[in-house]
Amino acid sequence: MNSSFKAALLNETDDFSHEVKANATEEKAVRLNVYRNNIFMSLMDALADIFPVTQRLVGEDFFRAMAREFIRHHPPKTPVISEYGDELPDFLHHFEPVQSLPYLADVAALEHNLLMLTNDQEHSTLEHAEIAAAFDNASDPSQLRLSLPPNSQIMTSPFAIGSIYQAHHQTPMTNVIVKNSEHLLLSKSDLYGTFHIISKDESVFFSALLQHKPLENAVPNSETFDLGATLAKLIEWKLLTHITEISVLKR
Amino acid sequence: MSYSSNNMSKAEGRSPSDFDTLTGISLKPAYYQTILNTLPAVGFFEIHAENYLSKGGPARHYLHRIREQYSITVHGVGLSIGGEVSLNQDHLARVSQLLDEIQPTFFSEHLAWSSHDNAFLNDLLPVAYDEDTLQRVCEHIDQLQTALKRQVLIENPSTYFEFERSDRSEIDFITAMAERTGCGLLLDVNNVEVSCFNQQANPYEYLDAFPVKAVQQIHLAGHTLDQNPITPLKIDSHDEPVSGLVWNLYQHTLTRTGDCLTLIERDGNLPPLDELLAEAHVANSIRDHVRQERINELIV
Repeated sequence: MNSSFKAALLNETDDFSHEVKANATEEKAVRLNVYRNNIFMSLMDALADIFPVTQRLVGEDFFRAMAREFIRHHPPKTPVISEYGDELPDFLHHFEPVQSLPYLADVAALEHNLLMLTNDQEHSTLEHAEIAAAFDNASDPSQLRLSLPPNSQIMTSPFAIGSIYQAHHQTPMTNVIVKNSEHLLLSKSDLYGTFHIISKDESVFFSALLQHKPLENAVPNSETFDLGATLAKLIEWKLLTHITEISVLKR
Repeated sequence: MSYSSNNMSKAEGRSPSDFDTLTGISLKPAYYQTILNTLPAVGFFEIHAENYLSKGGPARHYLHRIREQYSITVHGVGLSIGGEVSLNQDHLARVSQLLDEIQPTFFSEHLAWSSHDNAFLNDLLPVAYDEDTLQRVCEHIDQLQTALKRQVLIENPSTYFEFERSDRSEIDFITAMAERTGCGLLLDVNNVEVSCFNQQANPYEYLDAFPVKAVQQIHLAGHTLDQNPITPLKIDSHDEPVSGLVWNLYQHTLTRTGDCLTLIERDGNLPPLDELLAEAHVANSIRDHVRQERINELIV
């Protein structure tokens, strides 16, 4: 019976109304509609909470209409609503009415990734003094392995999604050239997911660190890469969890 | 209300007995900082299990800090014990781990379903009151109590229609469910008002027939009225203060149950914390009065 109940709620079919006790067809519809309304309103609110920038980019009315379509075709799979919406970026990618906003799907992916990071566990990071000591004590600094929190991640988009995200958190909004590609480093800062806009060279470098490569192999082959300045950023952003020297024997 | 007042501004020195005598409040992120800064005199805070299953982040962080100061009750909204499909074992394992960490005084769930065919519908959907459903619900409660290694409380639903196929009353269904499984009951007085209004039934008669021996917790909440022209319905919205009707039903309930652990439940349109504390204070006054009357009866 719950299959037809669910279908009636999501697809607004009429195959379930014979189960509902009421005096008239209209009354059955009104009663059933309370549940339908609860489901759609609560999930639209949840999506608006998870994707606030995406909502601002398309406007609230459009967002809610779009969310309704999404919910019908992709209801949550688990009861943990803060994990809902992982399929929204792909849905937007194919959703005809937003094809004029080609960056929208990537902005939604960024928002979802940030929330997943917020909900993920925290990792303690090294203090300045510990980092300085590790470099001072290294027999060969090029063989140091710098570890970032393991839930850190690189996102690359053909659009300026990091700048778009930041602009929509500022008042007044600044102008963004959306067609500039951007590389982002996503990580946890204290309890919350956050990101930094980084250069292409830094993206290569951080990706190598996340693959546990030692400094020697992580530094990109680029004249413009400034190792000192990049390390200073990692220290400032408090993103080093361990520094270990790969032993000579293991090399 | 003309009941004697407690000292509401007690900021420190909570004793274990506060859990039994002081009313609790729903824990919401908007209140984390105020709670930790002011340590209000609240018996306990209740969380929705599904909002606290993450490995990190602010919800988990603040829950653990507040747990250091207060008792917690955990209210599940996603286990779908009324569902036709098996319990979601992954979800059950996550809830079980939360209970191990938080050690709540009670864990409660709903006589409702929300999951079917790999979809979670994020609402508490009604079940038919017949033998097949009763058997299924009881099996799910047995599994739940075994997995969580504790008695669970099951809440009476707020409903917007009755099933043609139901062959017994909600009261008969709940009574048999509690007897067969040994589960406790969470009596949501607002749900009684909402369901009885929507089914044109008398809430006092419902309360008089309710199996109060199994009741271990009471929920009080606000509702809204959907004034549609076809059939007006009360909606269990949890976004308004507790109504006068529900306060009256609560007083009537306590004449049957005696003093009972009570929660002011609020999920939307959140007011400043003080307003919920004031509602909790009203409940405390009613409970004090009931306790005093019981003592007077013993003396006489």
